Amino acid sequence: MTPLYQTGAFGYSMGMFLAVLLGIGFGFTLERAGFGRAKTLVAQFYGDDMRVFKVMFSAIVTTTIGLGVLGGVGVVDLSLLVTPGTWLVPAIVGGTLLGIGFVVAGYCPGTALVAAGSGHLDGILALVGIMGGSLLFGFLYDPLEGLYEMTSWGKINFVDVLGVAWPVLALGVAVMAIGGFFAAEWAERYFAKRQGSEAPQDSPMVRNRVFGGLIGASALGLMTLALPLAQAAPSAPLETAPITALALADAVTAGHGDLYIVDLRSPEVCKAERVRGAMCLSAEDPKAEFLATLTPTRALVLYGAGPGAKLPESASRFGNEVFVLDGGFAAWRSTVLTRPAPPTNPTPAAVQDYEHRSAMHQYFTGSKAPPAPIMARPTAVRQAAKKGGGC
Amino acid sequence: MNVGSKDWNPYVAGVALGLVLLATYLLMGFGLGGSAAATRVAVAGAHLVAPETIEANRYFAQYVGNGLNPFDDWMIFEAAGVILGGILGAYSAGRIRPGHVDHGPRTTKLKRLALAVLGGVVMGFAARYARGCTSGQALTGGSVLAVGSWIFMIFVFVGGYLAAPFVRRQWR
Repeated sequence: MTPLYQTGAFGYSMGMFLAVLLGIGFGFTLERAGFGRAKTLVAQFYGDDMRVFKVMFSAIVTTTIGLGVLGGVGVVDLSLLVTPGTWLVPAIVGGTLLGIGFVVAGYCPGTALVAAGSGHLDGILALVGIMGGSLLFGFLYDPLEGLYEMTSWGKINFVDVLGVAWPVLALGVAVMAIGGFFAAEWAERYFAKRQGSEAPQDSPMVRNRVFGGLIGASALGLMTLALPLAQAAPSAPLETAPITALALADAVTAGHGDLYIVDLRSPEVCKAERVRGAMCLSAEDPKAEFLATLTPTRALVLYGAGPGAKLPESASRFGNEVFVLDGGFAAWRSTVLTRPAPPTNPTPAAVQDYEHRSAMHQYFTGSKAPPAPIMARPTAVRQAAKKGGGC
Repeated sequence: MNVGSKDWNPYVAGVALGLVLLATYLLMGFGLGGSAAATRVAVAGAHLVAPETIEANRYFAQYVGNGLNPFDDWMIFEAAGVILGGILGAYSAGRIRPGHVDHGPRTTKLKRLALAVLGGVVMGFAARYARGCTSGQALTGGSVLAVGSWIFMIFVFVGGYLAAPFVRRQWR
């Protein structure tokens, strides 16, 4: 079952090694697609060579169809894949700005890396600019935070929004893309004629074979819908696993956002103080029926005021793992929100534990605990590899 | 010989790229990125110059806070691979061109380089604001059908077409 890293088939170091290999594959392909040259890239925006559109959408369609087929036959657990969250205004404004930067610089960030690899000075300078722009954003973060966090729609994908199965959507995207490719080729000839340039002369035979292959693979994906694997398991009695406050703090700080955290205390208490990122119950839904409707793409963490909180029946209808915070909010308060005391007997393990707790305390409260007594240099708490979308 | 003569057919290149991305999903469960590594290198550099300022910054805390090493990240290793892959690709196509600057006949090298930096600044800012760029948002998120990634992607094209007439001299 894949994804292998998420299912624990290999660890952090192996992941880093694969990062280099996959990066080489990515860079090599981009270079041979012609994306190491600014003029080839920006020709997209002058209409007479739509290579960017063609490469990008055939890549998306390939991956989407591939995941649909492999998900359908049970090779990949689609619910474990990281879906970038949707923030509407940042997507619109950030996308527009990125497009402007792209045509001004001649590269997008990934292709600037490739151009730098080919030795192109403009690629290297575009990278320098990107670094500067990133810092600029960080320094302006305080006034921009509202704009950064606004219009958060959560981790939504079209499968959930439209309620259509993945392979069906994949076929739809493939058909749309192929229509787009024919339109692009028509536009290329039109704009080339108008500008006195030449439209690209790619082999129509190769193109037709690729299109045929994509449609064939989409059809395979549709066939997987007939397999019994896809049936949802019937509602079983609720099984929960405990999670300690510190482990929950780690998961939240790692920023993976792969958890739904739900506060089972009364809405008023919850609104006053809760675990960061937790959802409160609402007065309209006292039995927390909404738990059953959460998309099971993440695990669920429940907590009450203290140990032994009564769990709502709807949690058993949630389609993914359910964790219960050990000791409830009281444990969260004493472990994470309370400043940890430096260890009296500073063994390396105690110092490491203390530093871990103070890091969490600092993260969640914004205040620093005194430094640990110096004894042995503990290694920093290793974070799991940051998940995608970070770009 | 034309420098583009070793370019793959765009649809074949697209499928190849899609297979690399698919492999990344099967192995890691997340996708590829383009700008995160540049951000991390920049933050690491700034951290060397002014450690207190950077650590006190709430946005940079995700890279250097709590003693984190900004280089200890999947995206850094992946970006190193992308550069290596770029070198291998350019070498295999006989087009390693150190110091080359791609521009049209109606502009100077210097103006082109200045615009490369300027465009880069805009992109660096935009990629952080949108939580990803054409690689990490549009391509990677788009292929798992994320709604925001598709919106982002559409507006990348909108922005490109809006700005293209203003920088035409640079390219044509």
